[in-house]
Amino acid sequence: MDEDKYNISKIIFSKINRKLTLLFIIVAVIAPSFAIYYFYNLSITLSENMTPQTTLLLQTITASIIILIALDAGVIGFLVSKSISKPIKKLYTATKKLEEGDYNIKVDIKTGDEIQRLAEAFNKTTAALSRLEEERKELDTAKTDFLSITSHELRSPMTPMKAQLQMMQEGYFGKLTKKQKESLIIITRNADRLDKIIVDFLEISRIEAARLKFNFKEIDPADTVKETVKFMDGFAKEKNIKLKVDLDDLPKIEADPDRISQVIRNLINNAIKFSENKSKIEISAILNDDYIQFSVKDYGCGLTHENQIRIFEPFYQVESSQRRRHGGTGLGLAICRGIIESQKGKIWVESREDKGSKFTFTIPLKPVKKIEPIKILFSRRGLIERKIKEEFKTVLGPLGVNEFEELKKQNSIDKNDLLEYIDYLTNKHIITDERGNYFKNHISLIYGDKKGVINEKRDTSENVFQGEVVKRN
Amino acid sequence: MAKKILVVDDEPDIRESVKMILTKNGYNVITADNGDQCLQKAKQENPDLILLDIMMPGTPVSEVVKQIKNIKIAFMSVVRISDARKRGLTSQENIVDFFQKPFNVSDLIDRVELILNED
Repeated sequence: MDEDKYNISKIIFSKINRKLTLLFIIVAVIAPSFAIYYFYNLSITLSENMTPQTTLLLQTITASIIILIALDAGVIGFLVSKSISKPIKKLYTATKKLEEGDYNIKVDIKTGDEIQRLAEAFNKTTAALSRLEEERKELDTAKTDFLSITSHELRSPMTPMKAQLQMMQEGYFGKLTKKQKESLIIITRNADRLDKIIVDFLEISRIEAARLKFNFKEIDPADTVKETVKFMDGFAKEKNIKLKVDLDDLPKIEADPDRISQVIRNLINNAIKFSENKSKIEISAILNDDYIQFSVKDYGCGLTHENQIRIFEPFYQVESSQRRRHGGTGLGLAICRGIIESQKGKIWVESREDKGSKFTFTIPLKPVKKIEPIKILFSRRGLIERKIKEEFKTVLGPLGVNEFEELKKQNSIDKNDLLEYIDYLTNKHIITDERGNYFKNHISLIYGDKKGVINEKRDTSENVFQGEVVKRN
Repeated sequence: MAKKILVVDDEPDIRESVKMILTKNGYNVITADNGDQCLQKAKQENPDLILLDIMMPGTPVSEVVKQIKNIKIAFMSVVRISDARKRGLTSQENIVDFFQKPFNVSDLIDRVELILNED
């Protein structure tokens, strides 16, 4: 923490130096002057009769005066240094608060010197930051307002379009040739697909604006899970798939049952899509200290490494023949992630090709009532990765890019993974300690603060699949 | 005697499509394109059923609904039924059904038939 040691010698505030100098002059010169004068007078009157008592008296007085001067200097010195360090400390505390994102900080320093001017400049800066933040929020609101209005407009044409298509297909306008029927089927299918995408897009814009209506109430999460599973049983039966439920003893929590149900339904839906006939899907819930961990595990075709990394991206869909049959918009998991993360939970997948996949999400036991806006369509993750890549290039040169790509493939680009990696580099003397620290500082800066994301240590102790377990959020 | 249905929607394509579907299935169809016209035609023609769009300009649908208590009403809406319920639109007795747009043609016909054959 080199920033903590502020170097007084570097502070060249002439006014403060003048203050200090003046006061110490008072202490160091004037006070002793009085003492000397007193002694002078005393010595004149006492020069004739120096008895032992008088000598003792003289010595005591001398001692007292010296102590008094020392105390005096000490007190004044302390007060003066306080007058410097106190406002500097105020500025420091305010800067820390700024780091945390509180732009409404104002520093009140009235020392009448350069430090006060510094404080005034600081206040002007925070005011400007606060204004920028306001503007950004307004822009965001305008964007999402625009989205919801246009979404309604986007959905309206669907109704007459689909109605006319259906009428044609049902022979309202006469008999159709085989080719005409086929053509209509294709058109209808894509009209449906478009409609679904619009609906999902609306949902995402609501999530991003944090205008998702969460209805928090006291629920028994076990009931929610069981009801959802019962609802999905019908679909599962179509492929002869068994849905098995295994729940810990779960306490009642305050949560939105519809949203939890929505996420579970989406996960089960995906599991059914990617499972073979006659297989099984296991739904479980584990109670942890701060959260409940729900999982949906299937024994289907699993996900490739690439898919695991990208599957929560909006519009990303796994390439497979099964997917083509079932359609889908590619937004389901992105929406799930938005729902879970806006409640400060986490969602991730573990998978092995040909063995199956396990999707897990957490719900905090203490409900997070203040829903924050979450970026789904333009995620911070992409931005962070780009910044890290740049940093690698800066510190390690062109080879740095390859290193980064390797680490990304191994899924080790989280903050702690990178810090460990940098330590490894410095230990093997591949880079100097100094470079290593610089590197580490910059990586920490890029990752900034991850406020409120609970359970960062994911449960890697349970190896769901043997061999290589790849976890990806 | 053919049953009379009043179709109310601010979008002409939807009005026409629904009119086509109902007419082909033997119903007598009149249309209106906003809340006030709906009230007017309801009084004039005394239909057996009103198919009412929720999002329309002009007089809000909640007001329109309050003034029609003796004719069966079914909503047609892009808005989900849970949202409509939250807005207090579904509490009246004469509100008999809710068609989510975009609706299914055969579904519409079946349910309309059911509604009108309940007497």
